[in-house]
Amino acid sequence: MIPLPIVETRGLVKRYGDELAVAGVDLVVGPGEIYGLVGPNGAGKTTTMKILATLLAPTSGEAYVTGIPVTADPIEVRRRIGYMPDFYGVYDDLRVWEYLDFFARCYSVPANRRATMIGELLEIVGLGDKRDAYVESLSRGMRQRLCLAHTLVHDPALLILDEPASGLDPRARVEMREILRELRAMGKTILVSSHILPELAEMCTGVAIIDHGRVLRSGTIGEIERSLRATALLRVELLGDDSAAAALRDWLATDPRVGDVMLLEGGNDRPPRLEIAFDGPPEAQAELLRTMIEAGHRVTGFSQATSDLEEIFLRVTGQTDTEEAA
Amino acid sequence: MSVTGRAHGAGRRSAVGDFGSAVWTIMVKELRSRMRGRRAFIVLTLYLAMLALITYGVYVVVGPAARAVAGQPVGIGFGSSNASAIIGQWIFSALSIFQVVLVSMIAPAFTAGQISLEREKQTLDLLISTPMRPGAIIIGKLLTALAFVVLMVVAAIPITAIVLMYGGASIDDIVRQQLLLLSVAIGFGAVGIFASALMRRTQAATVVTYGAVLVLTLGSAMTFAFWDEVATRSESGFVTQPRDGAPEALRYLNPMVGMLDIVSRVETTGPTRFTQALYQLFGEDLAGGGQFGIGVGGCDGFDCGDFRDLGQPVPPEVVLVGDDGSDYWWPRVSISFLVVAAILTAASMGLVVPPGMRWAFRRRSARLRGADPYGIEDPETEGSPRIEELVEGER
Repeated sequence: MIPLPIVETRGLVKRYGDELAVAGVDLVVGPGEIYGLVGPNGAGKTTTMKILATLLAPTSGEAYVTGIPVTADPIEVRRRIGYMPDFYGVYDDLRVWEYLDFFARCYSVPANRRATMIGELLEIVGLGDKRDAYVESLSRGMRQRLCLAHTLVHDPALLILDEPASGLDPRARVEMREILRELRAMGKTILVSSHILPELAEMCTGVAIIDHGRVLRSGTIGEIERSLRATALLRVELLGDDSAAAALRDWLATDPRVGDVMLLEGGNDRPPRLEIAFDGPPEAQAELLRTMIEAGHRVTGFSQATSDLEEIFLRVTGQTDTEEAA
Repeated sequence: MSVTGRAHGAGRRSAVGDFGSAVWTIMVKELRSRMRGRRAFIVLTLYLAMLALITYGVYVVVGPAARAVAGQPVGIGFGSSNASAIIGQWIFSALSIFQVVLVSMIAPAFTAGQISLEREKQTLDLLISTPMRPGAIIIGKLLTALAFVVLMVVAAIPITAIVLMYGGASIDDIVRQQLLLLSVAIGFGAVGIFASALMRRTQAATVVTYGAVLVLTLGSAMTFAFWDEVATRSESGFVTQPRDGAPEALRYLNPMVGMLDIVSRVETTGPTRFTQALYQLFGEDLAGGGQFGIGVGGCDGFDCGDFRDLGQPVPPEVVLVGDDGSDYWWPRVSISFLVVAAILTAASMGLVVPPGMRWAFRRRSARLRGADPYGIEDPETEGSPRIEELVEGER
């Protein structure tokens, strides 16, 4: 029997007037996963998370948290999730423990458990010595961790964290990542968003790359990388001027294995270059180089562009731009 | 607790119990931040000092005049034979009217930012993503904001009670005054909450709130007076046969009408000069049996004088609304304010729920219903089951 997914969405759509913020998102997140939603700003990550946190009603489609439909029983869904929005404020005029005590009461945590629970949570997020400090006096990173602690007061099955590392310095980012790992070890399922793929890559068990309200790729980081490496990005340098490059581009257009060709203009003593999306194994790439030279193109450089995660991300999200332009 | 352990939850409770504890949760948090520090203490002290000053001022100003007319025949000046009672009546009138004005101004100020400030400080999403009912959030906020107003009103009772020493007003009158003040506070407080939930910005909410307060106090009085004038006056300008005047419901949401009704019961000797102007503004018929031509020379047909203190039976023609010993205006005003508070509170709830999901929040959740349509076992005593339990439940 397949375990009941903690998060499941089917054809989730959210429309604001004419604008389609979420255009049919399908997600499945199993128990114990750290699942990342990655995409540029405005891709629909926050909207998707708000729907799961029962703060927005979807225009159409279904969303379930631990099998409960979010639109039918939002109160019960809220008992099972901890939600941290991308932008949020804190109640400045409360002490740290009072802040957590307030949210613990909001979630009906019995009085006899609140005091010890608050102490434990503060230890987890590294604010143990700030118990009696005013929230006002905390640094940004500390507030972020306090907000994370508030999502845990009712020991939810799922954490929905919208850009938990945004605006943090590198050290605070590392701390945040460590805390998330710790929480995962405790059995939490975590849905986390970011607009930076490498930030999530190290800790996520699964990732969905989202842009323009659609899931472009999903799976483990490895799967996404493999699926993208099947199409290699070749970089070719030429002798001659831009017209030679244009000639090569036209020649390449006849090859069905060649996808997009991008002309990087020369000038200032720099030779013209082309970037070629090529669908084929290394043997085919060698074959391409041979025929290219035989056809009279004066190739001086032929290499495979390295693809790091950042580039994968840019390529995946860039594809939609060209698709839409077409 | 262990973080990996069982979910917290209050177990199965009644919906009312859940609602009550949620209201209390909001109140504890709000009071922690509101009552902390010296601000609340200073505001209360200043308020009471002002009331004490007014009391003393009235005593200083009215005292000699009251003693001078004491024992004089009714109809000259104050027209009562008891100087002490005159002072008591003046103090009661002054305190009552001062308080109703202040409560009308303060109660909305405390509530007009309640929701919009959370929106501006971006704390609202955190708050409304908890399983608390929207209604509990609104009512908790309204009650906390009012708690301080109530404290102010109640703390003023000892000062008001000074009139009991002088005579002229009774405990009944103080009870009436308190009931009216509290319902006005609740009503105007609810206006503030509603504006706060409706408007994005606190500034806009404050403007809307005070606009509504002005319309209800001054606006309704002027509309009533104008309407009444037009409706009952013939074209020639003479008062003709009685016709239907302005609808009296126009006055039901006017706190000054309610307070003048209460004060007029005390002013058995005809309104003090202090309240005369207010009567003229808000309606002369509120002023019990007393008319304004105090002093014999001002008499003009039967439209004048105070008959009660002369020991004469009140002629039936001049028995005006409110003067038959029944409480007429102030209970209507109080009840109207409470009704408005209930309506606006209910409307505010709908404004803090995601649009398109309102109906879902009216349903009882699965746990409270005791039913479990999702195949998840053991909602009996715990909130959310552990993941393993969820999985087992599926098997």
